[in-house]
Amino acid sequence: MIHSFAEWLQSLPLAVLVSESWFPQVESAHVFALTLFLGLLITVDLRLVGWGSQHMRFTQLSDQLLPWTWLAFGCAAVTGGLLFMANATTYVDNVPFQAKMALLVLAGLNMGFFQFVTFRGVAAWDDRPATGAARWAGITSLVLWTAIVTFGRWIGFV
Amino acid sequence: MTIATFSEWLSNTAPSQFIQVTNWIIPAVQTVHILCIALLLSAAVVVDLRIFGAGLRSETLAQVADRFVPKIWACLPVLLVTGLILIIAEPGRTLGNPAFYLKMISLVVVIGVTQWLHNYARSARALSVVPALLAIVSVLLWATIIVSGRLIAYIESI
Repeated sequence: MIHSFAEWLQSLPLAVLVSESWFPQVESAHVFALTLFLGLLITVDLRLVGWGSQHMRFTQLSDQLLPWTWLAFGCAAVTGGLLFMANATTYVDNVPFQAKMALLVLAGLNMGFFQFVTFRGVAAWDDRPATGAARWAGITSLVLWTAIVTFGRWIGFV
Repeated sequence: MTIATFSEWLSNTAPSQFIQVTNWIIPAVQTVHILCIALLLSAAVVVDLRIFGAGLRSETLAQVADRFVPKIWACLPVLLVTGLILIIAEPGRTLGNPAFYLKMISLVVVIGVTQWLHNYARSARALSVVPALLAIVSVLLWATIIVSGRLIAYIESI
Protein backbone atom coordinates (compact mmCIF):
# COMPACT_ATOMS: atom_id res chain seq x y z
CA MET A 1 0.00 0.00 0.00
CA ILE A 2 2.62 2.50 1.14
CA HIS A 3 4.91 1.34 -1.68
CA SER A 4 2.34 1.86 -4.40
CA PHE A 5 1.59 5.30 -2.95
CA ALA A 6 5.32 6.10 -2.98
CA GLU A 7 5.59 4.94 -6.60
CA TRP A 8 2.62 7.09 -7.61
CA LEU A 9 4.05 10.12 -5.75
CA GLN A 10 7.46 9.68 -7.35
CA SER A 11 5.95 9.46 -10.83
CA LEU A 12 4.29 12.88 -10.58
CA PRO A 13 5.79 15.54 -12.91
CA LEU A 14 6.75 17.72 -9.94
CA ALA A 15 8.61 14.83 -8.31
CA VAL A 16 10.45 14.05 -11.55
CA LEU A 17 11.37 17.72 -11.94
CA VAL A 18 12.87 17.88 -8.41
CA SER A 19 14.62 14.56 -8.82
CA GLU A 20 16.21 15.39 -12.18
CA SER A 21 16.91 19.13 -11.90
CA TRP A 22 16.35 20.75 -8.51
CA PHE A 23 17.29 18.33 -5.75
CA PRO A 24 20.45 20.17 -4.48
CA GLN A 25 18.68 23.54 -4.51
CA VAL A 26 15.58 22.24 -2.72
CA GLU A 27 17.78 20.45 -0.19
CA SER A 28 19.73 23.68 0.45
CA ALA A 29 16.47 25.58 0.98
CA HIS A 30 15.36 22.80 3.36
CA VAL A 31 18.56 23.19 5.42
CA PHE A 32 18.12 27.00 5.57
CA ALA A 33 14.47 26.75 6.64
CA LEU A 34 15.01 23.96 9.17
CA THR A 35 18.00 25.62 10.85
CA LEU A 36 16.05 28.88 11.19
CA PHE A 37 13.02 27.00 12.55
CA LEU A 38 15.10 24.96 14.96
CA GLY A 39 17.11 27.89 16.32
CA LEU A 40 13.97 29.94 17.02
CA LEU A 41 12.23 26.95 18.61
CA ILE A 42 15.26 26.25 20.80
CA THR A 43 15.17 29.87 22.02
CA VAL A 44 11.55 29.40 23.16
CA ASP A 45 12.20 25.90 24.59
CA LEU A 46 15.19 27.16 26.57
CA ARG A 47 13.01 29.90 28.07
CA LEU A 48 10.72 27.12 29.34
CA VAL A 49 13.64 25.12 30.71
CA GLY A 50 14.93 28.20 32.53
CA TRP A 51 17.89 29.14 30.35
CA GLY A 52 17.91 32.57 28.69
CA SER A 53 15.21 35.24 28.13
CA GLN A 54 14.25 35.02 31.81
CA HIS A 55 13.67 38.79 31.97
CA MET A 56 10.75 38.37 29.53
CA ARG A 57 7.42 36.77 30.20
CA PHE A 58 7.12 33.44 28.39
CA THR A 59 4.06 34.63 26.45
CA GLN A 60 5.89 37.82 25.44
CA LEU A 61 8.74 35.78 23.92
CA SER A 62 6.52 33.15 22.32
CA ASP A 63 4.05 35.69 20.88
CA GLN A 64 6.90 37.57 19.19
CA LEU A 65 8.96 34.61 17.95
CA LEU A 66 6.51 31.78 17.24
CA PRO A 67 4.94 33.32 14.09
CA TRP A 68 8.42 33.40 12.50
CA THR A 69 9.12 29.92 13.86
CA TRP A 70 6.00 28.53 12.17
CA LEU A 71 6.78 30.37 8.92
CA ALA A 72 10.21 28.69 8.84
CA PHE A 73 8.63 25.35 9.76
CA GLY A 74 6.18 25.70 6.86
CA CYS A 75 9.07 26.28 4.43
CA ALA A 76 10.95 23.29 5.87
CA ALA A 77 7.84 21.09 5.58
CA VAL A 78 7.17 22.09 1.94
CA THR A 79 10.80 21.63 0.85
CA GLY A 80 10.99 18.39 2.85
CA GLY A 81 7.85 17.15 1.11
CA LEU A 82 9.39 17.93 -2.30
CA LEU A 83 12.56 16.04 -1.36
CA PHE A 84 10.46 13.08 -0.21
CA MET A 85 8.48 13.03 -3.46
CA ALA A 86 11.66 12.97 -5.53
CA ASN A 87 12.83 9.65 -4.01
CA ALA A 88 9.71 8.40 -2.22
CA THR A 89 10.24 4.69 -2.93
CA THR A 90 13.74 4.83 -1.41
CA TYR A 91 12.77 6.91 1.63
CA VAL A 92 9.84 4.74 2.77
CA ASP A 93 12.31 1.88 3.32
CA ASN A 94 15.04 4.11 4.80
CA VAL A 95 15.25 3.41 8.57
CA PRO A 96 16.58 6.86 9.64
CA PHE A 97 13.77 8.44 7.57
CA GLN A 98 11.17 6.24 9.31
CA ALA A 99 12.65 7.17 12.69
CA LYS A 100 12.59 10.87 11.75
CA MET A 101 8.89 10.70 10.79
CA ALA A 102 7.97 8.83 13.99
CA LEU A 103 9.82 11.45 16.08
CA LEU A 104 8.10 14.27 14.16
CA VAL A 105 4.74 12.79 15.20
CA LEU A 106 5.93 12.65 18.84
CA ALA A 107 7.18 16.27 18.63
CA GLY A 108 3.75 17.27 17.28
CA LEU A 109 1.97 15.44 20.12
CA ASN A 110 4.29 17.11 22.64
CA MET A 111 3.47 20.55 21.17
CA GLY A 112 -0.25 19.76 21.04
CA PHE A 113 -0.34 18.66 24.67
CA PHE A 114 1.62 21.75 25.71
CA GLN A 115 -0.57 24.12 23.69
CA PHE A 116 -3.98 22.71 24.66
CA VAL A 117 -3.39 21.40 28.18
CA THR A 118 -0.24 22.71 29.90
CA PHE A 119 -0.49 26.24 28.45
CA ARG A 120 -3.83 26.79 30.23
CA GLY A 121 -1.86 27.18 33.45
CA VAL A 122 0.61 29.68 31.92
CA ALA A 123 -0.30 32.41 34.44
CA ALA A 124 1.49 30.43 37.16
CA TRP A 125 4.89 30.41 35.37
CA ASP A 126 4.67 33.15 32.73
CA ASP A 127 7.05 35.50 34.60
CA ARG A 128 9.45 32.88 36.03
CA PRO A 129 11.24 29.69 34.93
CA ALA A 130 8.63 27.05 34.18
CA THR A 131 8.25 24.04 36.45
CA GLY A 132 6.58 20.64 36.15
CA ALA A 133 4.78 19.81 32.91
CA ALA A 134 5.75 23.04 31.13
CA ARG A 135 9.43 22.53 31.89
CA TRP A 136 9.23 18.92 30.73
CA ALA A 137 7.54 20.02 27.50
CA GLY A 138 10.61 22.18 26.79
CA ILE A 139 13.08 19.41 27.64
CA THR A 140 11.12 16.86 25.57
CA SER A 141 11.02 19.26 22.60
CA LEU A 142 14.78 19.88 22.75
CA VAL A 143 15.55 16.15 22.90
CA LEU A 144 13.09 15.23 20.12
CA TRP A 145 14.22 17.95 17.69
CA THR A 146 17.90 17.16 18.24
CA ALA A 147 17.11 13.53 17.42
CA ILE A 148 15.05 14.59 14.37
CA VAL A 149 18.01 16.55 12.94
CA THR A 150 20.35 13.64 13.70
CA PHE A 151 18.17 11.09 11.90
CA GLY A 152 17.55 13.59 9.09
CA ARG A 153 21.27 13.90 8.43
CA TRP A 154 21.61 10.11 8.67
CA ILE A 155 19.11 9.53 5.85
CA GLY A 156 21.81 10.25 3.27
CA PHE A 157 24.35 7.88 4.81
CA VAL A 158 22.55 4.53 4.62
CA MET B 1 52.53 22.57 -3.32
CA THR B 2 49.19 22.65 -5.16
CA ILE B 3 45.82 22.27 -3.48
CA ALA B 4 45.46 18.84 -5.07
CA THR B 5 48.77 17.50 -3.70
CA PHE B 6 48.04 19.03 -0.28
CA SER B 7 44.60 17.34 -0.27
CA GLU B 8 46.22 14.07 -1.29
CA TRP B 9 48.78 14.36 1.52
CA LEU B 10 46.11 15.33 4.10
CA SER B 11 43.84 12.44 3.14
CA ASN B 12 46.72 10.03 3.84
CA THR B 13 47.45 11.34 7.34
CA ALA B 14 46.42 9.27 10.37
CA PRO B 15 43.52 11.52 11.53
CA SER B 16 41.99 11.59 8.04
CA GLN B 17 42.37 7.83 7.65
CA PHE B 18 40.80 7.26 11.07
CA ILE B 19 37.72 9.35 10.19
CA GLN B 20 37.42 7.66 6.79
CA VAL B 21 37.25 4.16 8.30
CA THR B 22 34.96 5.18 11.20
CA ASN B 23 31.60 5.49 9.46
CA TRP B 24 29.65 7.42 12.08
CA ILE B 25 32.05 10.34 12.53
CA ILE B 26 31.10 12.34 9.41
CA PRO B 27 27.29 12.26 9.90
CA ALA B 28 27.71 12.91 13.65
CA VAL B 29 30.00 15.91 13.08
CA GLN B 30 27.70 17.23 10.32
CA THR B 31 24.76 16.98 12.76
CA VAL B 32 26.61 19.06 15.39
CA HIS B 33 27.57 21.51 12.59
CA ILE B 34 23.88 21.86 11.56
CA LEU B 35 22.61 22.25 15.15
CA CYS B 36 25.16 25.02 15.67
CA ILE B 37 24.13 26.71 12.40
CA ALA B 38 20.55 26.66 13.73
CA LEU B 39 21.59 28.61 16.86
CA LEU B 40 23.69 31.04 14.83
CA LEU B 41 21.17 31.68 12.05
CA SER B 42 18.25 32.23 14.41
CA ALA B 43 20.31 34.71 16.45
CA ALA B 44 21.28 36.61 13.28
CA VAL B 45 17.70 36.64 11.97
CA VAL B 46 16.29 37.82 15.33
CA VAL B 47 18.68 40.82 15.20
CA ASP B 48 17.91 41.51 11.51
CA LEU B 49 14.15 41.33 12.14
CA ARG B 50 14.46 43.71 15.09
CA ILE B 51 16.28 46.23 12.86
CA PHE B 52 13.04 46.35 10.83
CA GLY B 53 10.92 46.59 13.99
CA ALA B 54 9.74 42.97 13.76
CA GLY B 55 10.18 40.01 16.09
CA LEU B 56 11.32 40.89 19.63
CA ARG B 57 9.70 44.35 19.69
CA SER B 58 9.28 44.38 23.48
CA GLU B 59 13.03 44.99 23.76
CA THR B 60 15.09 47.78 22.22
CA LEU B 61 17.28 47.00 19.20
CA ALA B 62 20.38 47.57 21.38
CA GLN B 63 19.12 45.02 23.95
CA VAL B 64 18.35 42.43 21.26
CA ALA B 65 21.71 42.93 19.54
CA ASP B 66 23.65 42.82 22.84
CA ARG B 67 21.91 39.57 23.72
CA PHE B 68 22.02 37.75 20.37
CA VAL B 69 25.18 38.93 18.53
CA PRO B 70 27.45 37.29 21.18
CA LYS B 71 25.57 34.03 20.48
CA ILE B 72 26.69 34.32 16.83
CA TRP B 73 30.32 34.75 17.93
CA ALA B 74 30.00 31.83 20.39
CA CYS B 75 28.79 29.47 17.64
CA LEU B 76 31.59 30.31 15.19
CA PRO B 77 34.45 28.43 16.97
CA VAL B 78 32.30 25.26 17.18
CA LEU B 79 31.46 25.60 13.49
CA LEU B 80 35.13 26.13 12.60
CA VAL B 81 36.24 23.05 14.57
CA THR B 82 33.49 20.76 13.20
CA GLY B 83 34.07 22.19 9.70
CA LEU B 84 37.80 21.53 10.02
CA ILE B 85 37.12 17.91 11.00
CA LEU B 86 34.96 17.54 7.86
CA ILE B 87 37.77 19.00 5.71
CA ILE B 88 40.34 16.66 7.26
CA ALA B 89 37.97 13.74 6.60
CA GLU B 90 37.53 14.52 2.91
CA PRO B 91 40.05 17.17 1.81
CA GLY B 92 39.66 16.49 -1.92
CA ARG B 93 35.89 17.01 -1.70
CA THR B 94 36.23 20.43 -0.09
CA LEU B 95 39.53 22.20 -0.76
CA GLY B 96 39.22 22.13 -4.54
CA ASN B 97 35.56 23.07 -4.44
CA PRO B 98 34.39 26.52 -5.68
CA ALA B 99 31.33 26.28 -3.39
CA PHE B 100 33.66 26.00 -0.37
CA TYR B 101 35.48 29.22 -1.32
CA LEU B 102 32.20 31.06 -1.91
CA LYS B 103 31.19 29.93 1.59
CA MET B 104 34.43 31.15 3.18
CA ILE B 105 34.39 34.55 1.38
CA SER B 106 30.75 35.06 2.42
CA LEU B 107 31.69 34.15 6.00
CA VAL B 108 34.45 36.78 6.16
CA VAL B 109 32.13 39.44 4.74
CA VAL B 110 29.20 38.56 7.01
CA ILE B 111 31.42 38.77 10.11
CA GLY B 112 32.20 42.37 9.18
CA VAL B 113 28.56 43.14 8.37
CA THR B 114 27.42 41.65 11.71
CA GLN B 115 29.95 43.71 13.66
CA TRP B 116 28.82 46.86 11.79
CA LEU B 117 25.15 46.09 12.53
CA HIS B 118 25.96 45.52 16.21
CA ASN B 119 27.66 48.93 16.40
CA TYR B 120 24.69 50.49 14.60
CA ALA B 121 22.26 48.81 17.04
CA ARG B 122 24.14 50.28 20.01
CA SER B 123 24.26 53.77 18.47
CA ALA B 124 20.45 54.16 18.75
CA ARG B 125 20.38 55.94 15.39
CA ALA B 126 17.11 55.83 13.42
CA LEU B 127 16.78 53.24 10.67
CA SER B 128 18.16 54.50 7.37
CA VAL B 129 19.03 52.97 3.99
CA VAL B 130 22.48 51.62 4.89
CA PRO B 131 21.56 49.56 7.97
CA ALA B 132 18.36 48.39 6.29
CA LEU B 133 20.30 47.16 3.26
CA LEU B 134 23.02 45.57 5.41
CA ALA B 135 20.40 43.72 7.48
CA ILE B 136 19.03 42.21 4.27
CA VAL B 137 22.57 41.53 3.01
CA SER B 138 23.32 39.76 6.30
CA VAL B 139 20.43 37.32 5.84
CA LEU B 140 21.39 36.77 2.19
CA LEU B 141 25.02 36.10 3.16
CA TRP B 142 24.03 33.56 5.84
CA ALA B 143 21.76 31.93 3.25
CA THR B 144 24.67 31.86 0.77
CA ILE B 145 26.87 30.23 3.43
CA ILE B 146 24.28 27.53 4.16
CA VAL B 147 23.42 26.89 0.51
CA SER B 148 27.02 26.78 -0.73
CA GLY B 149 27.87 24.55 2.24
CA ARG B 150 25.25 22.03 1.13
CA LEU B 151 26.28 22.39 -2.53
CA ILE B 152 29.83 21.23 -1.69
CA ALA B 153 28.28 17.76 -1.80
CA TYR B 154 27.03 18.29 -5.37
CA ILE B 155 29.62 20.49 -7.12
CA GLU B 156 32.67 18.79 -8.58
CA SER B 157 36.03 19.76 -7.16
CA ILE B 158 38.39 21.26 -9.72
